Amino acid sequence: MWAYVVRRLLYGFITVLGVLFLLFLLFFTVANPEDIARKAVGEKASPEVYAQWLENHGYDRPLFVNPEYPTSSLARYTDTLLASHYHDMLTFDFGRSDADDTPISARLREGALPSLLLTFPVFLGGLLFSIALSLLIALFRDTYIDRMAVVLCVAAMSIATLLYIIFGQFLIGKVLRWFPISGFSGDPAVVWRFLALPVMIGILASLGPDIRFYRTIFLEEAHRDYVRTARAKGCGEGSLMANHILRNAMLPILTRVVTTIPFLFVGSLLSENFFGIPGLGALTVEAINGNDFSTLRTMVYIGALLFIGAQILTDVTYTIADPRVRLG
Amino acid sequence: MLQVVSACSNDPYPSDDQTRKVLYRAFPEAPKTLDPAVAYTTSAHAITGNIYEGLLEYDYVARPYQLVPALATGVPEAVSAPDGTIRYHFELRPGVRYADDACFELSESESSKSESSHSEIPDSPGSTPTTRSVTTRDLEFSFQRLADPAVASPIAQNFAKIRGFRQFSANLEQRRERDASFAARPPHEQYALVGGIEGVHLLNELELDLVLDAPYPQLLYWLAMPFTAPVPWEAVAYYDGEEGRPHFRDHPVGTGPFVLTRYNKQALMVLEQNPRWREWPQPAPGHIAPLGPRAGSRLPFIERVEYRREKEAIPAFGKFLQGYYDGSAIIEESFDRVIQEDQLSSDMAERGMRLEKSVEPGIYYLGFNMDDPVVGAPAGERGRKLRQAMSLVIDIDELSRLFLNGRGVPANSPVPPGLFGYDPEYRNPYREVDVERAKQLLIEAGYPGGIDAETGRPLKLGFDTPDTTSTAQLRSQFHIDAWRSIGIDVELRATTYNQFQEKMRNGAFQLFRWGWIADYPDPENFLFLLESSNGRTRSGGPNTANFSNAEYDALFAEMKDRPNDERRGELIREMQSILERERPWIELYHPEDYSLVSPWLENVKPFGMSYPMLKYYDIDPDERARLRAEWNQPIVWPAYALAGLSVLIVVPGIFTFFRERV
Repeated sequence: MWAYVVRRLLYGFITVLGVLFLLFLLFFTVANPEDIARKAVGEKASPEVYAQWLENHGYDRPLFVNPEYPTSSLARYTDTLLASHYHDMLTFDFGRSDADDTPISARLREGALPSLLLTFPVFLGGLLFSIALSLLIALFRDTYIDRMAVVLCVAAMSIATLLYIIFGQFLIGKVLRWFPISGFSGDPAVVWRFLALPVMIGILASLGPDIRFYRTIFLEEAHRDYVRTARAKGCGEGSLMANHILRNAMLPILTRVVTTIPFLFVGSLLSENFFGIPGLGALTVEAINGNDFSTLRTMVYIGALLFIGAQILTDVTYTIADPRVRLG
Repeated sequence: MLQVVSACSNDPYPSDDQTRKVLYRAFPEAPKTLDPAVAYTTSAHAITGNIYEGLLEYDYVARPYQLVPALATGVPEAVSAPDGTIRYHFELRPGVRYADDACFELSESESSKSESSHSEIPDSPGSTPTTRSVTTRDLEFSFQRLADPAVASPIAQNFAKIRGFRQFSANLEQRRERDASFAARPPHEQYALVGGIEGVHLLNELELDLVLDAPYPQLLYWLAMPFTAPVPWEAVAYYDGEEGRPHFRDHPVGTGPFVLTRYNKQALMVLEQNPRWREWPQPAPGHIAPLGPRAGSRLPFIERVEYRREKEAIPAFGKFLQGYYDGSAIIEESFDRVIQEDQLSSDMAERGMRLEKSVEPGIYYLGFNMDDPVVGAPAGERGRKLRQAMSLVIDIDELSRLFLNGRGVPANSPVPPGLFGYDPEYRNPYREVDVERAKQLLIEAGYPGGIDAETGRPLKLGFDTPDTTSTAQLRSQFHIDAWRSIGIDVELRATTYNQFQEKMRNGAFQLFRWGWIADYPDPENFLFLLESSNGRTRSGGPNTANFSNAEYDALFAEMKDRPNDERRGELIREMQSILERERPWIELYHPEDYSLVSPWLENVKPFGMSYPMLKYYDIDPDERARLRAEWNQPIVWPAYALAGLSVLIVVPGIFTFFRERV
């Protein structure tokens, strides 16, 4: 198994290098550093100010080859934007935001908790509700409850998340006035009041696709031979669901769950923006809108690392959930 | 869940603040920097404008805009010297102190070693100083920072007429390049070693002269913005971002009515009253109706201002309607519900909301690339008539009705209302819709019905915009349809902002849509947008149309530095007539701001430019608490209904299940 993990890590490393290169190309060849400067300094500044900004932020260097050095010199290739881009990312030196010069690592530290406070309850609540409801629906398979649930799930899946958010804010925040429409507080005593609405909406928005997915898995398991055997032996429907079907359906559930967990740290782009939660999702959206290359590349880099890490983790957890799985 | 819901409220604030004068505002975009020499966005000025004070400011209520003294004792007159220099004499108000800050401990520890350049004596000898008085040295330091290339102030070029300003900048840069140990010193020491700016002449602790090489009356407007506000050298040296200290750009230290006590750009920024701030003269009674009875009271009225981050407009507006923000712009989605027949809807009026309208000093326009061989100057009379024809078919009233909810004053020239040179009676003959005349002009231009008479091919033009949203595309289509009505085929080229900028820089465009918001209320700040030395492709300047007309340039040169006298008015009229004829722009509208004010917020007067207005605002917290309670009673019955419905659905299901399966 270890050989497999090392091999996957190596593949992952190559993927990350590729991601970083693509990101660099997108920012510096499709756009150009002056655009970053213009967004940071403002539209009305003089060309000298843009030049100074580029110099202050190290964007005045050549992209790939530095002609100031002789052909034989290694510095010709290392004293370039591309080389420093790779060096900074691979050494986890994220630097400062291009938009406002805030240290990015500080931003990540500040944003991770609010993101987790939102995404973790949504993830956990969504998981519990969707598994419980899917089991229930599978239990009532072929009844009107099952059919109604499928219709409702398909309807729920067809609605965009944004609509859930806007309608949720309107109904619960504005009309019923149960919770604040948006906002956040660092005070643990009151933060739940701000999180209640986005968490409720987040769970609700995830129920449609999740219930459909888990219901399909449970129904597939429900028709297997071991279920028939258990039933023939007199096992009750409830016990069958909880002790046999759920346990055997763990593999696809694990795949979905383990690949999701790492991304809880990077937050939710839409919810954080609409609910004013100062997390990493909101930070990413801001970086995109503000041409903030240094922040965006950090978020994409972290996203790529998490994705690769999650995939390896999923494979490893397979061996735990199902002893028949061998990694080699 | 039922229990949770019954205990809930949508109030996002601590209940202790209910009875306090706390102003709540939403901020969609975080300031990039709070360094007054660099901050140049509305979001940053909302903070810096209330923390820092310049020598001058604007009268809060007078229109047209009028400069009044702030830290200075008066608004100086320009005095010309025989050698051609211009001198402005300023006298600082005595006894102005900075807000309390830890950086002033540095003043004590370093006062001995930097005595030659900064010899401030702590205000409370014997104890650790937390503030000190403002002197002309602080103003000198602020001007030096503006000139410092490393500070990268976006408006530095506007001070280039101060004698020795550029020289100081060059000397500083050369010395830094030559001497690494010099570059490692704190900025105030570097400035002292390089020598001051010759034109910033300190007479004593409270008096200074600014000496300019050439007339530049607009300088006074810049002094009313936070850029030149006095900054303590201690703050710049101390707040260096090292060893856990914040950077100066995130930790402002000024003399204004408020201090920043919390600065979380992602969530919350808090301003509180600066106890060091002095008494401030009020506008005359009756000058602004609500302020009348309070004339003579101590400013500011509000205790605290909380800026809460709201990245999206819809939730922010929802919270304003619930009384949790004290003022708001009107979002597109709710405009028709809030404004009916250009007035507040009866529902809003019944709630006591107020509508404040103000025309912003700005303009939106369609521009032609005057370097283009088809629509520009190289096409000569053909091009001119083509531009005139295209101008004649853009119906601004219809545009305003369709896309602006009727907001915006139709523009006839670049100069907006409220500024010297704006003539409300002036009607640009090419901004009145006349399709027949436009067709005739097209024939005269050699494009009858939009067909090039020389080649027999249809005329095809490109229209660049930096906005790819569907609303922007619809708006662009409105213009394209108008041009199509006289046979001109215009292709929309909607690109990203970066690509648009690239095209503008390279001159690779024919038509574009753009806008400008003034820095200061002077016609020069609009008419310079068409002066040839500011051409975008030639110099990277703001003359995006690349308009170049020697007569216009000469008139501009004479107009720009003149006082607002009759001759200046004549010059502006002459420039307008050139623009009327040449049509480098199709003027669209001067933006009009509609903002809503809650019933408990008083002394509000929209300003249109960055301005420290918060010191005038007042709040009636009791009225606010009463109305908030009235507007925000939670409706709990749906929670019970939902619970009942769930039971109604699930219970028969369970019965069915047991009947069929068990």
